[in-house]
Amino acid sequence: MLIFIVRRLGSMLLVMIAVSLLIFIVLEAQPGQVATKVLGPYSSQEQRDIWMEKNGYSRPIHERYVTWIGNFFTGDLGKSTRFKQPVNDILWPRLGNTALLALLTMMLVVPISLTLGVLAGMREGSSTDRSISFLSIFTTSVPEMASAPMLAAVFLSLLGWLPGTSGFSYGHPLQSLDGFPWIGINWQTVPELVMPVLVLVLYDFGYVTRMTRASMAEVMQTHYIRTAVLKGLPYKRVIVKHALRNALIAPFTIIMLQINWLLSGVIVTEYFFAYKGFGALLLEAALNQDIFVIEACAMVAVFVSVTTQTLSDVAYTYLNPRIRFS
Amino acid sequence: MKKVLKDESGKRIHPYVPELVNQLRKGEIDRREFLRTTTLLGVSATAAYAMAGKITGESLVAPAQAQTPKKGGTLRASQRVQRMDDPATYDWVPMSNQTRAILEYIVVTGNDNVTRPYLAESWEASDDLKTWTFNLNKGIKWSNGDAFGADDVVHNFTRWLDPATGSSNQGLFSAMTEEYDTGMKNDDGTAKMGKKMSTGAVEKVNDTTVRLHLNRAVLSIPENLFNYPTAIVHKAFDDMGADLSKNPIGTGPYSLGDFSVGERCQLKRRSEAYWGGEIYLDEILYLDHGDDPNAAINALESGQVDQVFEVPITQLQRAEGIKDVVVYDVVTAQTAVARMKVGIAPFDNLKLRQALVAATDHQKLLEVAYFGRGAPGEDHHVAPIHPEYFALPMVKQDYNRAKALLAEAGYGSGIQLTLDVNNSSAWEVSAAEAWKAQLGPAGIDLQVNVMPGAQYWDIWTTTPLGLTTWTHRPLGVMVLNLAYRTGVPWNESGFADAKFDALLDDASATLDINERRKKMEGIEKLLQEQAVFMQPLWRSVFTAAHKKVKNFGAHPTAYHLWHDLWLDA
Repeated sequence: MLIFIVRRLGSMLLVMIAVSLLIFIVLEAQPGQVATKVLGPYSSQEQRDIWMEKNGYSRPIHERYVTWIGNFFTGDLGKSTRFKQPVNDILWPRLGNTALLALLTMMLVVPISLTLGVLAGMREGSSTDRSISFLSIFTTSVPEMASAPMLAAVFLSLLGWLPGTSGFSYGHPLQSLDGFPWIGINWQTVPELVMPVLVLVLYDFGYVTRMTRASMAEVMQTHYIRTAVLKGLPYKRVIVKHALRNALIAPFTIIMLQINWLLSGVIVTEYFFAYKGFGALLLEAALNQDIFVIEACAMVAVFVSVTTQTLSDVAYTYLNPRIRFS
Repeated sequence: MKKVLKDESGKRIHPYVPELVNQLRKGEIDRREFLRTTTLLGVSATAAYAMAGKITGESLVAPAQAQTPKKGGTLRASQRVQRMDDPATYDWVPMSNQTRAILEYIVVTGNDNVTRPYLAESWEASDDLKTWTFNLNKGIKWSNGDAFGADDVVHNFTRWLDPATGSSNQGLFSAMTEEYDTGMKNDDGTAKMGKKMSTGAVEKVNDTTVRLHLNRAVLSIPENLFNYPTAIVHKAFDDMGADLSKNPIGTGPYSLGDFSVGERCQLKRRSEAYWGGEIYLDEILYLDHGDDPNAAINALESGQVDQVFEVPITQLQRAEGIKDVVVYDVVTAQTAVARMKVGIAPFDNLKLRQALVAATDHQKLLEVAYFGRGAPGEDHHVAPIHPEYFALPMVKQDYNRAKALLAEAGYGSGIQLTLDVNNSSAWEVSAAEAWKAQLGPAGIDLQVNVMPGAQYWDIWTTTPLGLTTWTHRPLGVMVLNLAYRTGVPWNESGFADAKFDALLDDASATLDINERRKKMEGIEKLLQEQAVFMQPLWRSVFTAAHKKVKNFGAHPTAYHLWHDLWLDA
């Protein structure tokens, strides 16, 4: 097991280095382009020359890469060309906001999906199974770019129940309380979280439900479940004691992968509701070619992706000892 | 000896002012032009209004307000919240809006497009428009208690014109600069030249008087001083780190509160009395809703904000339908030009450029891309609202002429061209697509290459054919000097014409608005004949605010002049 983990970590590091090299070459191969981004489109060539000289951009690319990656690992992510602030000051709060969105989404998606998936898979082909399958396929088929304006049309324009944007108009939803060591909830901002969470839950729960259903249905066909039923064990006990444990292994991996999706795949939702998250930051950075923010976001996204993948592999192996690995 | 004209207080009056009075009396210029030009020449707004009032009989005093302003409250506005480091390097208007309540300008160009003194109490221009003297208001204090004065203004000019600052003000005040050897070499080994402030360009006359010495006549010095990167910072700004967000010392009525780029900018009314008069709002809060215009309108509809930076034309109908929200529109000189790089093939071919313009129906472009809310473009970049605008006959679409010109250009069997367009304004993409449809029947296959704004701004001066946004400027000559004079940094088309430059020099040094207008005829015709660009339209600009926001007015450049706003909560 230890060798497996070490190997996984090694390949994770290799992927990170390869990606960092690629990102650096794409974004910083031409020093003139970096100077233009930092100083803006109206800067003169003279101003750009001065900047490049001053910031070491006259050195060969491999030297610059070594400096950059060294800075990166010591926590110096550079300065945003758009915001003119250290990337650290922008990136981590945004990541925290997206983590909050992801947490709220997962808190709803996991119980709903597992419950519905198990219910559907328990009796494959029943009316319950067909109803749940229809609902989950329908919601998953509607992309966020459609569900977001639809929900806004209903809850904002038609009913006027919910605010139209989620930019924390009344402050961050989690606020430290004066004189207390814990964090309190800013209830004024909570309504702003409802629509983005709803959009993500609607899109995601169907997929996890379908996966859970498939896994449960497969387990229900196995010999040991049939034996347990024929042996006369109560149905409830068969499900809870014997079926569930095995049926939830596959959904676990799927849920782990959803964490990755919730980090960088929520761009549409964050953009539509002006939510100050990591996805919106990544999009804005890409559109504005905010070089150092793109580099940092890309590295974080890759890190989260390979980490969740590795964790998922390790956990899967732990949960299912039948799996052999080389 | 030349007689010096003085007003009742003994202050020198520019010799052209009596002529303006005459022209107003005869009806040769209207009241608006009179106010604009007299204030530009240093007459105080009060005196100018008084003179105009005596002649036209119109009241000097604005109509009495129906309600007494109420103090207090927070105005919540939706706009991008951007960096607030060095105002001299600002490149977007929202940055200046965040700053405008903290830092102030020597002058202010109001919603009516008239420029008035602000930190300066008055100014005077020499007859040849090469020497400008600014008399600063006395008794203004910075928020750290220091007295505001000439040293601050001199310091600002000095840093604007220092190439190391990287300010676009260097181009704006190019008449105060000279060339110098940067010490670096061009690829061909020649010395790389730069521009820096010319010796003696700015002079401190005394603690409250500053004089500018230009190397050529410039009419628009006061207007330039309200261009958004010209906010006046404290003389110790650079010593304090040159970052306003970290040391928000200003002369304005507000101080910086909670500030987070991309999220919020809170401006709190200072406790001390404001030197410029009564301030009603307790707080202005800018909230960032991203680049999606839909989000800002959603925020307005759900009451999360009281005002939005701009209502794009695509959202206009929706905004007009929101309860208790008032949509304001303002006629502007904002536009976009499909400019051709005249030195690069195939656009070095005049006949081809003329063919492109001949195949264009500007009125249709206005209707399709902007629902008719503006004015059709005339391909000379002088707007009907510019005081020196000369009305030429409208250019009509003529396919026969376009085909003939195309054949003469050597493209009788047609040509394929690519137009680069940035996607930040939906109307520009619509205009490009509509133009493509218009050019087709003439045998021109236009490919529209839509790209993100940042990508376009990388190539805006180099692409052979690109649709570039140009913002409003109060005078027509200002934009022509920036965009079409030979060799200037923003001359994106590479247009170089000695005759045009000479005509522009002449017009730029002509005070008489009627004379200047006559001179603009030649300039406008020359640009049309040379077909340097196709200009689809002039656009009106829209903003919206809740009806409780009083004294609100839309500015043609979307500048927020909010000192006298109040909330009828």
